Amino acid sequence: MSSLSFLNIGEKAEVVEIKTEKGHGCGKKEKHICHVEDMGLRIGNVVEVLNNEGQGPLVVKVNESRIAIGRDMAMKIMVKRIEE
Amino acid sequence: MSQTVVSRQSSVGSQVSERKTITVAVAGNPNSGKSTLINAIVGTRLHVGNWPGVTVEKKEAMLEYEGRKIKFVDLPGAYSLSPYTQEEIIARDYLVHEKPDVIIDIVDATNLERNLYLTVQMMELGIPIVIALNIYDEAEKKGYKIDTKAMEEALGVRVIPTVSTKKKGLDDLLKAIIEVADAIPSHLPNQLNYGQDIEDASSALQMQIKNAYPALAEKYPLRWLSFKLMEGDDHVYKEINIAGNGLPVRDVINHLKKAHGDDIESIMADARYAQATGLTHEVLKKPEFRKIDLTEKIDRVVLNRFLGIPIFLAAMWVVFKLVFDVSTPFIDWVDEMMAGPFPRWAEAILGVIHAPAWTVSLATDGVIAGVGFVLVFVPIIFAMMFAVTFLEGSGYMARAAFVMDRAMHAMGLHGKSFIPMLLGFGCNVPSIYATRTLENPKDKVLTALIVPLMSCGARLPVYVLFIGAFFAARAGTVIWSLYVLGIAMAVVMGVIFKRTLFKGEAPMFIMELPPYRMPSFRSLMIHTWEKGRHFLIKAGTYILAVSILIWFLLNLPWGVEHKKDSFLGQAGQVVAPVFEPLGFGNWEAASALITGVIAKEIVVGTMGEIYIPGALEEEEGETPTLGEDLKEIGTSFIGAFKGAVVNVFSSVGVVSLAAGEDEPGPMRTAMQKAFTPLSAFAFMVFTLLYMPCVIVMIALRHEFVTWRWSVIAFLYLMILAWVVTFVVYQGGRLLGFE
Repeated sequence: MSSLSFLNIGEKAEVVEIKTEKGHGCGKKEKHICHVEDMGLRIGNVVEVLNNEGQGPLVVKVNESRIAIGRDMAMKIMVKRIEE
Repeated sequence: MSQTVVSRQSSVGSQVSERKTITVAVAGNPNSGKSTLINAIVGTRLHVGNWPGVTVEKKEAMLEYEGRKIKFVDLPGAYSLSPYTQEEIIARDYLVHEKPDVIIDIVDATNLERNLYLTVQMMELGIPIVIALNIYDEAEKKGYKIDTKAMEEALGVRVIPTVSTKKKGLDDLLKAIIEVADAIPSHLPNQLNYGQDIEDASSALQMQIKNAYPALAEKYPLRWLSFKLMEGDDHVYKEINIAGNGLPVRDVINHLKKAHGDDIESIMADARYAQATGLTHEVLKKPEFRKIDLTEKIDRVVLNRFLGIPIFLAAMWVVFKLVFDVSTPFIDWVDEMMAGPFPRWAEAILGVIHAPAWTVSLATDGVIAGVGFVLVFVPIIFAMMFAVTFLEGSGYMARAAFVMDRAMHAMGLHGKSFIPMLLGFGCNVPSIYATRTLENPKDKVLTALIVPLMSCGARLPVYVLFIGAFFAARAGTVIWSLYVLGIAMAVVMGVIFKRTLFKGEAPMFIMELPPYRMPSFRSLMIHTWEKGRHFLIKAGTYILAVSILIWFLLNLPWGVEHKKDSFLGQAGQVVAPVFEPLGFGNWEAASALITGVIAKEIVVGTMGEIYIPGALEEEEGETPTLGEDLKEIGTSFIGAFKGAVVNVFSSVGVVSLAAGEDEPGPMRTAMQKAFTPLSAFAFMVFTLLYMPCVIVMIALRHEFVTWRWSVIAFLYLMILAWVVTFVVYQGGRLLGFE
């Protein structure tokens, strides 16, 4: 398991956990987590890293959409690499 | 395009419903082609306003189709109906409370799963839905096969493939809407099964609500309400106000929590998402291989660590140049009309009816000059809106935000804030409107508040005047120092506001990067027109009032001889002592600064009138006839058009910003008597920083619904200007400057 922010360009991974301060999942205490999940970054979905420069936001592909996500948020998304 | 439309319900509309206006809510994810589809259906009939109390645009349109009146209400783009963003709350409140007859759900055919997640949520509302399966051509191009018939059966809604950019499928869509609206019994979506436990709890809750609160059952879609109660939705609990009383919902919910843990909301979200995923697998066949599409190829360059920022700056330079160079000749053209023909005509008309002389002055100096100030902004607003619409529509705006996010993040701002700030160097007014591209209301307001610190083009004439008189040898350095001072103050104020007014988490950066698309010229024009027209009407009324007021201040008390004795002059005398420590405590400077409220370049005009009365009056010549005037207006418009084209291709620099006019000699002498170099510099610093012009304040009011931010901007800029100028002037004196 690794944080999404440590994946390299081209790597694919499955989201296994989204770390929050107040418990698990899309609780009403952390609104922005909900928004992240609504955009498709949710447990079980497969993401592919399209851009990761080591700092600043990264771009991932989820389903058919490209999502740009801040590094701080990406740090909280735990993923499992998928070997091709 | 495959036409797999089935009509399971025949339209058995009664005579009564045949005449009824059908209200249609248009909902969908951002970037699903929603606004293109609406524009394709209703064209320019869109009426743009704001949703009550918020800054989100509300678009409505009436359409007559095959003898039926259809009212379209465009809901803000949302990924979900959970009440987390302003857009989601608006969309949800509208659907729940206004109960439209039909929802058009615009689904991006190239991104079914996530789009269907919203569809699944809307199906809980018990409102007939018609899905516009949009961007269908691209899905086909990608080799996707979507079984629309299976989709219709699984969801219980009509599914119409559409291509909004090519206006395909629109007739089918409108026909389906009418059929569904007229269907008896109502053509309701299926109820998707969220799992035994949730369904049991929902049935129990629905029963209890029906028995204990028939009024609630009447008002809300029951199934939806039961879900919201289970999820513990604050918004709904507040609205229905039954949290504290004895409704036995607690038992049902506690039972559910015992089995599934506390976070029912997550469980519900997962259940809905599972439906969307399951359905997608059922109806969508994707080709095995995945090609790297054009968007990804472009992004590899545009988002590259080393190329990203240079490309962005180049793109911004092009926008800047296009906007200001294209609009400048038209601005000059408007200016000319306002200076020559229009006042002459007004004079002539008033002369014919023997109106008193003061009405002529009011009409020309007050009304026409005031309207002129608004019209002068029109070319620039339209050009700017066009550029911003293009950047957004093409998909580049999101990339620009991505590229700039790192730098802006340090200031506590969003990557997208950079664009309004940059545009602010041309004119602050469109910058305020450009903050619209920011999603988070806090980021929007914060950006708008610091935009006035960007030294706009209207401040340039003031600099030019003073630099010509005092710093001719070091013109470049002085101007540069003023621009840099403005930027530095923006950074400082950004950090201060972030720590005070906008405390809280750093803006979370998450946004979709839509595929690159060439926006159609038609939709660009429609969007540009919508935004520009709005400005024209709103700003027009206010500014007219303000300029009439200023006219009275300059010309009252009745028959005032010297400008010093006019109300404005008197006000200048009263305020002057405040500027004493800043180095320009005389009534002339104070009065000029007061009139700068209309637009900062007016400071120059007022100074001219005060220091050398009559010098700015135009020389008397032969008065042209009406015909000559009209001809001149026509030819100069063509000239402006040519000028715009020439400007775009002629030079590398931004022409309009480099142009400075030479002020007449006597003015320079008078100013050299009134100011020292140090106080002149202080005056420029004050002009840079003090209150935003009235049009900016109106734009702030217009964009943020209340006057609150206009007032805050006014106050903080006044204080900041005074403090900074004080430091500059007194510090300069300590260092031995004069």
